[in-house]
Amino acid sequence: MPRFLKYTLFIIVISIRVSSEASCQAPIFDVKPLSFNSPVFSDIAPVILKDGILFCSDRRTSSLSLITTFNDEHLYNIYFAARKDTSGWEKPRLISSAGSPVLYYGPLCLAPDGKTVYFTSGILTGKAAKKKTVINPRGIFIGELSGTSINNVRPFEYNNPKYSVAQPSISRDGKYLFFASDMPGGVGASDIYYCELINNKWGPPVNLGGKVNSKSSENYPFIHPSGRLYFSSDRPGGLGGLDIYYTILNNGTWEEPVLLPPQINSASDDFAFVAEESLQTGYFSSNRDKKNDNIFRFSSTIIRKVKCDTLQINSYEYEFYDENAMNFDTTLFRYEWDFGDDAQAEGVKVVHSFKGPGKYSIRLDVVNLVTKEVKKNEKTIDLKIKDVEQPYISCPEVCKIGKQIKLNADSTNLPGWNIKQYYWNFGDETVASGKEVNKAFIKSGNFNIQLIVTSLPDASGKVKEACVSKNINVIR
Amino acid sequence: MKFVNIYKIIFAGFILSLFSFPRASAQPVPGLDENIPFLVTFGKEGDKSWGDFNFFQTWFFAIPKDFKERFYIRVFDPDTGGENDEQKGEWNTKMQYSVYGGKGVDPEKNEESRGITRTGDYKSGTLLSSRIFGVDPQYDNKYYTFGPFIATQGDYNERWKSYMFKIICDGISGDDGNLYRYFLSRDPNNDVPIEGANAFTYSYCFRMWNDIKSVSHVYPYIDTGIVYVKQRNFDWDDDGEILVVSRVRRGERVPVSGQNEWVESRIPIESGEVGSSLDFQFHKKQEYLVRNNNVIISLENQRGDAIKFFPAPIGGVPVYEAKPVYKQIKK
Repeated sequence: MPRFLKYTLFIIVISIRVSSEASCQAPIFDVKPLSFNSPVFSDIAPVILKDGILFCSDRRTSSLSLITTFNDEHLYNIYFAARKDTSGWEKPRLISSAGSPVLYYGPLCLAPDGKTVYFTSGILTGKAAKKKTVINPRGIFIGELSGTSINNVRPFEYNNPKYSVAQPSISRDGKYLFFASDMPGGVGASDIYYCELINNKWGPPVNLGGKVNSKSSENYPFIHPSGRLYFSSDRPGGLGGLDIYYTILNNGTWEEPVLLPPQINSASDDFAFVAEESLQTGYFSSNRDKKNDNIFRFSSTIIRKVKCDTLQINSYEYEFYDENAMNFDTTLFRYEWDFGDDAQAEGVKVVHSFKGPGKYSIRLDVVNLVTKEVKKNEKTIDLKIKDVEQPYISCPEVCKIGKQIKLNADSTNLPGWNIKQYYWNFGDETVASGKEVNKAFIKSGNFNIQLIVTSLPDASGKVKEACVSKNINVIR
Repeated sequence: MKFVNIYKIIFAGFILSLFSFPRASAQPVPGLDENIPFLVTFGKEGDKSWGDFNFFQTWFFAIPKDFKERFYIRVFDPDTGGENDEQKGEWNTKMQYSVYGGKGVDPEKNEESRGITRTGDYKSGTLLSSRIFGVDPQYDNKYYTFGPFIATQGDYNERWKSYMFKIICDGISGDDGNLYRYFLSRDPNNDVPIEGANAFTYSYCFRMWNDIKSVSHVYPYIDTGIVYVKQRNFDWDDDGEILVVSRVRRGERVPVSGQNEWVESRIPIESGEVGSSLDFQFHKKQEYLVRNNNVIISLENQRGDAIKFFPAPIGGVPVYEAKPVYKQIKK
């Protein structure tokens, strides 16, 4: 089993899927097409770089020529669009491959070294590729990206003219290369495979199995640093056409793929999903608006606080002791405590549970067993017990997978707050709002629930916010 | 009754000077707060099981350098025989009181001067005055006054900004017990305290009350740097309990010696006790009265340096301050 995937299982990620069980669901994604998308040509398969994105496009490389196959299929090239600011992009620049025999540059990925590029292209080149009758399977090619050119191109060892091997995605540690292939022996149509790098050599392709792959086509894998594997599939159960799913390796088994929510998926083809490390933002391709494919940017609107207090359970149990007596032999004295609620106890150190919040006057009488002298009410402790001022999450600590549970914030104790919203982040990329919500976890594990309470603006317009978190263990 | 009234006057003076560390008004020895009836010294042929071990006792008086008047050391009941002393067979005991000043007296500069044992030059310094008492009804239950002295006759101690004087009561012969008290006074005929003066000893031999309800005290001062003290007590006759009390110590039991034996133990010092006095409380046995119990107690620190007992405790009588606290038990 890939080690890096094991280690990344518990990384907290933000925003992908919303719980259908949530009582009141806020929209969790903002999706916008990129400004440089061509209105008539296709732009697909973005790759996130520090200063921009690489993507594939079949747009004209010049105003005079449009390169197509003999079947009038547009040939793709790789482009780089530099990021101008948070929303703007510079005009995409063609990534050329001077001297390279390949004609098509398709979906790609960049190795951790930032230079080695794995890209998709037709396996056949030269005259063989130009024959009208020939079907040119896709293969993965490897080259070095330098500026706007790819050099030293060489084929991936598992390319095969009898089937396609395409759409590579390499893990952050560079040890696993995922790709799509319709090679024989798969579950059906195109499947997702991976190869493991062993002694600087890619091991044989491994099919991800029947949970990930289906009789339909699975393609465009993207392995995120968190260990999540995103891919597209036109399997039944989606919103239509290709839809984007994710899965994760759990104890050596790829889990049931999860369909991304409607803001990402649509009735059209949605594919080639990539995301930033935080999973807050990313890109995908879709033909939802027009006939051609375009690249869309998504950003999560899910709120997840970095700093959030752990829920404190109200405790009315207190320990009392004479601090100055703790280092000494006190056998010559008898400590008599009166807790002010009709309860008494004897001992240097005593524990008492009060019934609830209130004011209590605790009295200590000490009897000197040598002199029989009694020091009455030697010192009085005025104890004021209050519930903790915090939002309060009431929910079970353990629940079963798939079973609906109720969570409520009824015991929230925020005096003087005019509460506007109770916002729940269940820690599994689902959210809800409301004082009482229902939730069914679809995966097992420990989840950190956050309850974020915001107030209405006060007279000065100030809005207060408080966050508490609580863990819940979801078991099978 | 007159005696009691004088003590009341003196007590008022004490209160005023309690916080003038390291000085205090400690003119009566034993001090008021100590509630000790008498110092005890036996003649050198005495039986140790009667409560004295060395048959002499050394006390120091510190006179502020600014005190320019004459002063006196008054001894109450200096003789042996009569009302207060402890007779063994026939009265045959002679006590020599010797007052020393000048160089060699200051026990902080001259360890042998401390007078804990008869070894070394415990009579160091310049002899200023001396007198021997035997059975002497003239002074039975009455005062004898040494002096006058002036401060500059003492051995100057810069730390205390005082001149040191020493008085040794030496049981030079006999086997009876001498019970007596001192008073440092500005007046030869009355007990008039000297403001800022002080008294101390390193080895305290005294008589316990013949009253099970009376609690006696001694007040060693815990100076900076003391980590623990080793207490030694002698011939307690298992008479009740010794408790150590301080501002942070409610009362901790200290082993009590039996007849004619030494018992020692170590007492770790808490940070809150440094710079203040400990209160060694002597609670007599409640089941029955142990009569005429004479005892000795001495302390030393972790370096083996003897620790001073002040009849008027430096910083005042330490009163335990209970510190009841609470802690919420988190769920």
